[in-house]
Amino acid sequence: MNESLSIPHLIMNASLVVQLVMLLLIAASIASWVVIFQRSFVLRRAHKAHRTFEDRFWSGVDLNELYRETPAEQDVLGAEHIFRSGFREFNRLLPKTRSNQAILDGVQRAMRVAWSREEERLNQHLIFLATVASSSPYIGLFGTVWGIMGSFMSLSMAQQATLSTVAPWIAEALIATAMGLFAAIPAVIFYNRLSAQSNRLLGQYEDFAEEFHSILHRNLQGRGDREAA
Amino acid sequence: MAKQERRVGYGLPVVLAVGLHVGILLLSVLRWPASEPEQTSSAIVQATLVSTETATDQAQRAKEAQARAAESQAQQEKAQEQEQQQAEQQRRAEEQARERREAEQQALQETRQQAEQEAQRRAERAEQQAAEREAQAEAERQRQAEKARQQAEAEKQRQAEEARRQAEAEKQRQAEEARRQAEAEKQRQAEEARRQAEAEKQRQAEEARKQAEAEKQRQAEAAARRAAEAAERASEQALASSIAGEEQAIANAKQAAQAANGFKNLVKRAVEQAWNIPPGATNQMRAVVSLELLPTGELVNASISQSSGNASFDRSVLQAVERAAPFREMRELPAAAQRQFREFNLDFNPEDVR
Repeated sequence: MNESLSIPHLIMNASLVVQLVMLLLIAASIASWVVIFQRSFVLRRAHKAHRTFEDRFWSGVDLNELYRETPAEQDVLGAEHIFRSGFREFNRLLPKTRSNQAILDGVQRAMRVAWSREEERLNQHLIFLATVASSSPYIGLFGTVWGIMGSFMSLSMAQQATLSTVAPWIAEALIATAMGLFAAIPAVIFYNRLSAQSNRLLGQYEDFAEEFHSILHRNLQGRGDREAA
Repeated sequence: MAKQERRVGYGLPVVLAVGLHVGILLLSVLRWPASEPEQTSSAIVQATLVSTETATDQAQRAKEAQARAAESQAQQEKAQEQEQQQAEQQRRAEEQARERREAEQQALQETRQQAEQEAQRRAERAEQQAAEREAQAEAERQRQAEKARQQAEAEKQRQAEEARRQAEAEKQRQAEEARRQAEAEKQRQAEEARRQAEAEKQRQAEEARKQAEAEKQRQAEAAARRAAEAAERASEQALASSIAGEEQAIANAKQAAQAANGFKNLVKRAVEQAWNIPPGATNQMRAVVSLELLPTGELVNASISQSSGNASFDRSVLQAVERAAPFREMRELPAAAQRQFREFNLDFNPEDVR
């Protein structure tokens, strides 16, 4: 009895549609876990990198020096990326225009672009987690309903319906729901956790961008005063 | 620094995710067989035990065989050693035997000497004893001679007295004989008279008896003749009736067989109606159930006598039988058929039902 009701045996004996549903759910579960692991590594590293960059930035180092010592444009990430794009825009605009406002506008635009790229990078694939979390219970439910449908169809051929006739079919069908929940629950939990982390990081980037903007603004203000004097 | 942190690849996450799923799968698969023996221990102890026993037995047998082989080798070696030892022992034994023989010869000589001495001693003792015996014999002879003399004297006196007594006794005997003869003559005459009278009476009685017996025989013969005629008539009647009885019995048996077939079909149909064929059952599956019924049709016992190989299939058949019981049609069967259906087999096949 046990051998005939073990989970692998039930999966093997399920109908084709239910098996396909199960396969889909397993694939979704594996993919969501890949995303979970990858995102948590990415976010942890981004967090660490942000902390070290802020330490360096507020250590009183000259901004030109900081800009020069950081490597090529394509490799930078996070707050450093925002700093570099903002500072490069600042340096390019400074000789071309006398208007402080125009320079600050250009710097802000460049930093906003960099920030939105960072946002895209951090939130990458999190949507997939949300999709799995919300859809896999329904997919599992579909498999269950289909399996129960099949069981009742076959039941119509038997003369008398008892629990022992219906039970294997329903157990088989319910496995699909179980697998859907199995895929969905980690996806929900980690989607919330990872999106909170990335939002916090993006908020920190925004703060940094504002602070950097205020520093540049201060410098420009000093230059404008000197020119006026 | 920044270069190292730049990209997080997908290789490690994929490995981790797949490993996680495989681990969960293994846990779910491995936990089931582990929990199985606990659940089945109460139900199918014997079956599982048998299988494990045979499995372990094979291993044990292999081990035992190896052990036996080793033992046999050891025994062979031992045997060789023993042979060598035996050879040595034989050699030793021969030496010992030789020594023993010499010792025996010495002992023989000694014993011979001792025997000779003994014989001499015995001869001396025998001579002494013979002398003593001769002395005793002479004394005895003298004693016997005296006794003989005394006996002879006593004999003479006894003979004289006897002669006197015999003479007196002779006289008395003759007188008594004369008296006895006279008495015997009288008795003989009386007895003869009595005997003649008795013989006459016996003869008369025998004649009367013979006449009576002859009368009886005649009557008995007549009765026998009458009885024989009656018996012939009776046997003819019995033959006719027995033929009729057989015909009836054949008819009854036919009816019983029909009823039996009908009953079997009834039971089978009832069980099949109560039967839920498990989903995994194929048309090739066939289970034979042996049923034990009371005369009232109630189910005493139902067991699988020939399994289909699928436990759930067998169980579903048994459940169907239990659900279909009691079979009240049993009461309507003739008694002979009832006896036939106290215990019988039924075989089930999904093909019959579908």
